[in-house]
Amino acid sequence: MADKLGTPDVEIERQSPLGPVFQPGSHGNLEAGAGVALSEVQPDSIVQLAAWPGEEKKLIAAIAAATGLSLPDGAGGGVAKGGKAAFGVAPGKFMAVSEDDDLAVAFADAVPVEMGTVTDLSHGRTVIRIEGSRAEWVLSKLFAIDFSPTAFPTGSARSTVHHEIFAQIQRSDAEQFDLYVFRSFARSFWKVLCHAAEEVGYVVK
Amino acid sequence: MSARRTDKQGRTGGGRIDRQKTVRFTFDGVSYSGHPGDTLASAMLANGVTLLGRSFKYHRPRGLLSAGVDEPNALVTILRGEAREPNIPATMVEIHDGLTVVSQNRSPSLAWDFHALNQLGGKLLAAGFYYKTFMGPAIGPLKGTRFWMFCEHFIRRAAGLGRAGTVAENIRYERMNAFCDVLVVGSGPAGLTAARAASDNGANVILAELDPHFGGSANWSGEEIDMKPAADWAEAIVDELRGRQNVRLLPRTTVWGYYDGNTLAAIERVSDRKQAPAKGEPRHRYWTIRARKVVLATGALERPLVFPGNDRPGVMLADAGRRYASEFGVLPGERIALFTNNDSAYRAALALKNAGAQIAAIVDVRAEPSEAVRALAQAAGAELLAGHAVIGTEGGKALSSVTVQRFDADGKRLSGATRAIQADCLLMSGGWSPVIHLASQAGAKPEWDSAKQAFLPPAPTQGWLGAGAFTGSFSTTGAIAEGHAAGVLAAGGKSAPFDLPGVQPEPLDPDPAPVFEIRAEGKSFVDFQHDVTADDVRLAHREGFVSVEHLKRYTTLGMATDQGKSSNVPGLAIMADALGKPIPEVGTTRFRPPFSAVSIGSIAGERYGDIKPDRLTPIHDWHVEHGATLYSAGLWHRPQIYGLPGETVEQAYVREVKASRSTAGIVDVSTLGKIAVQGPDAAEFLDRVYTNLFSTLPVGKARYGLMLREDGLAFDDGTTWRLGANDFLMTTTTANAGKVMQHLEYFLDVIWPELRVTVTSVTDQWAGAAIGGPKAREILASCVEGTAVDNAALPFMGIVHGKIAGVPVMICRLSFSGEMAFEVYCGSGFGTHVWQALIEAGKPFGLVPYGLEALGTMRIEKGHVTGAEIDGRTTARDLHLDWMLSKKKPFIGSAMMDREGLAEPTRLQLVGIVALDNRPLNGGAHIVEELDQDNPHGSIGHVTACCYSPMLGKYIALALVKGGSALLGTRAFVSDPLRKRFGPVEIVSNHFFDPEGSRMHG
Repeated sequence: MADKLGTPDVEIERQSPLGPVFQPGSHGNLEAGAGVALSEVQPDSIVQLAAWPGEEKKLIAAIAAATGLSLPDGAGGGVAKGGKAAFGVAPGKFMAVSEDDDLAVAFADAVPVEMGTVTDLSHGRTVIRIEGSRAEWVLSKLFAIDFSPTAFPTGSARSTVHHEIFAQIQRSDAEQFDLYVFRSFARSFWKVLCHAAEEVGYVVK
Repeated sequence: MSARRTDKQGRTGGGRIDRQKTVRFTFDGVSYSGHPGDTLASAMLANGVTLLGRSFKYHRPRGLLSAGVDEPNALVTILRGEAREPNIPATMVEIHDGLTVVSQNRSPSLAWDFHALNQLGGKLLAAGFYYKTFMGPAIGPLKGTRFWMFCEHFIRRAAGLGRAGTVAENIRYERMNAFCDVLVVGSGPAGLTAARAASDNGANVILAELDPHFGGSANWSGEEIDMKPAADWAEAIVDELRGRQNVRLLPRTTVWGYYDGNTLAAIERVSDRKQAPAKGEPRHRYWTIRARKVVLATGALERPLVFPGNDRPGVMLADAGRRYASEFGVLPGERIALFTNNDSAYRAALALKNAGAQIAAIVDVRAEPSEAVRALAQAAGAELLAGHAVIGTEGGKALSSVTVQRFDADGKRLSGATRAIQADCLLMSGGWSPVIHLASQAGAKPEWDSAKQAFLPPAPTQGWLGAGAFTGSFSTTGAIAEGHAAGVLAAGGKSAPFDLPGVQPEPLDPDPAPVFEIRAEGKSFVDFQHDVTADDVRLAHREGFVSVEHLKRYTTLGMATDQGKSSNVPGLAIMADALGKPIPEVGTTRFRPPFSAVSIGSIAGERYGDIKPDRLTPIHDWHVEHGATLYSAGLWHRPQIYGLPGETVEQAYVREVKASRSTAGIVDVSTLGKIAVQGPDAAEFLDRVYTNLFSTLPVGKARYGLMLREDGLAFDDGTTWRLGANDFLMTTTTANAGKVMQHLEYFLDVIWPELRVTVTSVTDQWAGAAIGGPKAREILASCVEGTAVDNAALPFMGIVHGKIAGVPVMICRLSFSGEMAFEVYCGSGFGTHVWQALIEAGKPFGLVPYGLEALGTMRIEKGHVTGAEIDGRTTARDLHLDWMLSKKKPFIGSAMMDREGLAEPTRLQLVGIVALDNRPLNGGAHIVEELDQDNPHGSIGHVTACCYSPMLGKYIALALVKGGSALLGTRAFVSDPLRKRFGPVEIVSNHFFDPEGSRMHG
């Protein structure tokens, strides 16, 4: 595992890609209160793990050992709790996310080359959270997937796309979704999301 | 005598309107009032206005034919500020305060239309008029299509619909995706029952209704269901459904497209009924509904009868008349006559009598109507003229009387004396056509039912079921039974005993007499909207158009915005009669989406004004703050120049290049495509995808690589860094990053699934800055911690790790500019932090940031290729990259790259061009051997990239020229007639500057 460079000196903060379009406060039609809240989650570690065919169960075990999160077998399953998350995004491919910044290092030891690969995406993906009673409604404007709890249960995840913008989406709670988008698209996507949320009213926090 | 609001209130006297409130709107500048719940059509009728439009070709005065989505005549234009939306049926417009409507296709006014003179030339404007008249002479100034182009201007003024606006609307449209177990289309008794049954059986249900109110015919049938007025029965079910978690009700939503995989398109008119939408609320919402099963309960539409004068304002469909009375409390006339070939019109007559109208007569083509309807006629106080037909209508822009004559329905013969009947409204019924459009779109072939005289849907072919009038079950009892069964079945439930509610009164005979047309003197309209008459259909037959598809195109029958909802079947029947064939042998046209008109805005959705997302580098805000002019490179925004006040683009990049080549320059290269290639077979994989070897590359070193496509043409180039034994970082050109990723994934997934390799886009993981120039190494040495950057520690193509300003970085020494240069990579979140540290460190050395123009200039000076030269048509040899084609191994493209055509010495080859007249060159300009400005020809190639070279002091370019390698040192010319740039050039090597690379290697 090589493209993890080590940690920066403690006082240096990562820059959010959202810049001037991140406007904390209440927006849109608030007649019935805010239907959703939008925020940027800034986990220090976002790691992609891929297992060679036949090695998936070992990798799931390695994820459990490193994060304490037990993933169900199969694509699309996931778990989110205690500031950590893990979910499948494709056959044999998983994302592991943590508030701690040492996940890639931990996996470098836990995932030998015979099992699969570890790719650090901590800077490459931006995590946008949408929560609230109208979250499903707002996301349904942007993505052609079924957000209902039966089709998309808590913890599970989907890989999808909004036109040019790839997104991996985990339902991290009953009324809460975390959207992983490419960092370079994050500002545009944030604007799109705010626009879509205007109808139901939204809070940026 | 005219149309008016009834005195009667409540369920059967205007259930949709609220008489307590008043709404004000304008039509053609005149103020009118109505009630909330009124459509524009009902409100205008209530105000006694029956003239609402002018016809397409003849500009005949037209009023309302229908009360719903099938309206062909009363098309209006709605104005919203400067924006205008034409061709909206008045029957589908809900009035609100401030609504501004104008009529269309008339001049100067609706009442006095100059173009109505067209009627006098009726024979001229018959079917095929355009085809016949505008062929044009064979010779002369207006030969062929020129004559058509000359005439088109006048025709467009005279014929047509409303005028589209040109002003952008400041209004939102939106897209919505929905998934459900069962989609029910239509909310009449069949649809409501189906939705309830599906929901009872645990299905997630969407119920879509195109009207504002659920209930369909229950709102105007006047029946009693389950001992309640039908409208109350429907409302009770709707209330029940509204409270259920697994039901979504979509009023004002037209399901207009049925596509493969049970994907349906619908448009919801969210805020048209309001003066202004709420904040963030769209005007229209385009629903894409993916349904496991669909229940089609779309009902049936009444057909007009075809007879002379059937288009006069005041002549409308019988059921429409009943709807206006029951739903809106409006009488379409005071003294009403009816003309029918079936029983259903009798109920309409009675309903209108009860609403306060006088029923003058019921004219029935059938010689012996049943006892049941005779009793209804009597109850309506109407004279019953059985075995009669209407052969004409009188009045100007409003009906005053109708002319009737004895009619033999079997022999279709008129006989005896004519008689006039005074009436200000004539309601007609020519039978019923099930609304089978969606099933037809789903691939179902309609089947003719000779008893019902209608096309019925066949047994379900896809994921749909039918219920109610859609299937030809015209009784409410039948609709409820079928709706329930369809709902249960669609939900995958088991049939349980179901108490069918009683319906009163008893249903009448649904089968009409097979009479579609009364042939008499005068224009009898089949397609009201396109002004197609019965004679036009017969003319088409005489001229040899026997196929129904040809008939449609020749006469334009059914091709207007209403897509023939009221005209297809009568038109077909008249054609069949002319051919002497039964209707099923003549066939019918299929329906295609949309069912009814769809706003373009709803299809564009949110993309209006914001077509593509912006892709921004981690250092974007710094560039903007420091005066960069941004330039689009695909979706990316990249600095073009960092111009100083007063500088031209050329002055700015020349300054940036000079500084970069004399001291140092820095450029943001975060946009380069970056792909992590990892796994035990990564090196083997790269050996296969690149033309050169990567398995021999040591860890900690980078190598320039070239990829070919399978056909042997050049695909992409870039450096790939070996970060570990099983770990590579591939870089691609900015433009090709996505394509390369797809290429790699394809080969791993499909061709070589046995290779254990992961490819991941890490473009956004890394911020990259390229710092180059004679002072670059000194600048780096002054700010990098944890590693040396001298030749020993960091040789050409070497990689080291260190820290800059506390942030871990990876530095690779490689060069695009031809200078001693380094690419500094760090986590994107620290990109600006590291960039600023480099800028600070560079200040004492004269470091300047530079943009794409300077970058391009330096690469042209060096003769490096980019996407402009790797254009999908060039080979490695064409670009002088044959030294990279390994002979030790096969690779993608190696089998094809030596084809004769790819090795031709006369192919376009990469050369340099120097302008000999010291003037700028243009990208895309042609290279010619001999200049002929008046007749530019003889291209031997073209310019791919150009600039002013500060190092050479000349305007130079890269070009692809036929057999260019053999032409070095010779003269040619640029020929650019579009931009009027002609002049002499010299063809030279593409390596303009420092061909030995001494500066880069240091």
